[in-house]
Amino acid sequence: MTLLEWVILVARVALPAMILPAIVIPLVWYERRVAAFIQDRPGPNRVGPFGLLQSPADILKLFMKEEVVPAQSDRFLFFLAPGLAVFAALSTFAVIPYGGTLTIGGKEVPLLGADISIGVLYVFAITSLSVYSLVLAGWSSNNKFSLMGGIRSSAQLISYELAMTTAAGGVILSASSFKLADIIAAQQGTWLGFVPRWNVFPQILGFLIFFIATFAETNRLPFDLPEAEAELVAGYHTEYSAMHFGSFFLAEYVNVIVSSALTVTLYFGGWSLPGFHPHGVVGVLLSLLVFAVKTALLVTVFIWVRWTLPRFRYDQLMALGWKVFLPLALMNLFWVAALEMWTGRR
Amino acid sequence: MERVVFDAAAAIAVVFAALMVLNRNPVKSVLALVVSFFFLAVAYVLLFAPFIAAIQVIVYAGAILVLFLFVLMLLNIRQEGVEKDPRPIQRILAGAAVLLFTIFLVTLLARHGAPPGLPATASETGAPHIADVARAVYSDFLLPFEALSVLLLAALVGAFVLVAKERGAKA
Repeated sequence: MTLLEWVILVARVALPAMILPAIVIPLVWYERRVAAFIQDRPGPNRVGPFGLLQSPADILKLFMKEEVVPAQSDRFLFFLAPGLAVFAALSTFAVIPYGGTLTIGGKEVPLLGADISIGVLYVFAITSLSVYSLVLAGWSSNNKFSLMGGIRSSAQLISYELAMTTAAGGVILSASSFKLADIIAAQQGTWLGFVPRWNVFPQILGFLIFFIATFAETNRLPFDLPEAEAELVAGYHTEYSAMHFGSFFLAEYVNVIVSSALTVTLYFGGWSLPGFHPHGVVGVLLSLLVFAVKTALLVTVFIWVRWTLPRFRYDQLMALGWKVFLPLALMNLFWVAALEMWTGRR
Repeated sequence: MERVVFDAAAAIAVVFAALMVLNRNPVKSVLALVVSFFFLAVAYVLLFAPFIAAIQVIVYAGAILVLFLFVLMLLNIRQEGVEKDPRPIQRILAGAAVLLFTIFLVTLLARHGAPPGLPATASETGAPHIADVARAVYSDFLLPFEALSVLLLAALVGAFVLVAKERGAKA
């Protein structure tokens, strides 16, 4: 490989991994402002213009705070857990295409980390491993509240992962490929001239199940039982302080962004728009913008739901996952298969 | 390069499998098994079976072992009991079985040589590989596949029966 190819490769992989945590800083401010708007109060508006510097100040504080480690904890696993959380959150983004194809020095560079044949499965593999960060944090803290949080998260994540993967099966079926780039390519064009061929329209059921399950996977309200503050103090991260707590915080917000980006890719055509064919640098930048706007809209839904709905009870959570979502996701799979046969694409 | 990564992954998988057996703390045993499974998946990727690798991580490391951890944490077992072995013959039999297996493996390898190396031309790109797996499972190996499904179903029903019996006894 030439030097240019190496630079492009590193940039493709490293840039998103560096930009994602940076986006979290304004995202926290955004969430607090939206929450304040929903609750009819001003929110953080004192530090800097519109309170924008509140988040950087808070993060600085997190870095400077004293680190307290419980005496009876398992130190190695205690420190491994937050690192694992951030690693899993960031590495999921590696296969999501975030823009059109750029031409640099006569070479076509698709804007995504790695175009691997198992695309979607890679994402599910990493998310299924991310549960260990919560479980380990809960177990190694040697605290009953942390342990309860860890136990809850393991049960919750497994239950909703099943519905989530089954719902995504419909998308894989209609694109007949696991690659996210192919899934975007299968969503080009329009129906009747004005409805985009996005998966969300024929698979609205699958989309709803997938999107709701991502709430459970990211531990956001109404599925934040692992950290339910009314019962469990702070759940799995009760004993964490300073930036190790900050790592869990960071991982949660990165997970929100990545889940939204994945939903955009699977159900809303990713970076593409009907009738929009990115050419040159400007076109690619526009495709990046399309992707960012779509993702930002879904992130807003995440925040909106968090400040609107109360938390589920544990038995409600389990009943919903196993008795409602899983059968519906299977129904969706049959529906997509039938649709594929009727339209004669098989 | 690939050979080095493969050997390293295989070695790590074996080391952590040994740690799993030797560790006295059941939670740490499960975690060692997770690492072992993960590096087994790495080995699958290097054998041009990325689909199997992903399934290995999703099903074994991501679901089954999480359930193991769930049960261990629910019972909150911190340390495996070190009471005297009630059946010492099991250790002797296990040792003999391992020895026998090693002898079989070594003689097989000595007679037929090592299995052919990594397929050099199989390309990592494109979906045909996953389609190949599906075709094999649903055509050539349909009967074993269905038999396995029935076996799993029987195990599932058995688990339910056991739980139901316990619950009936309590009530």
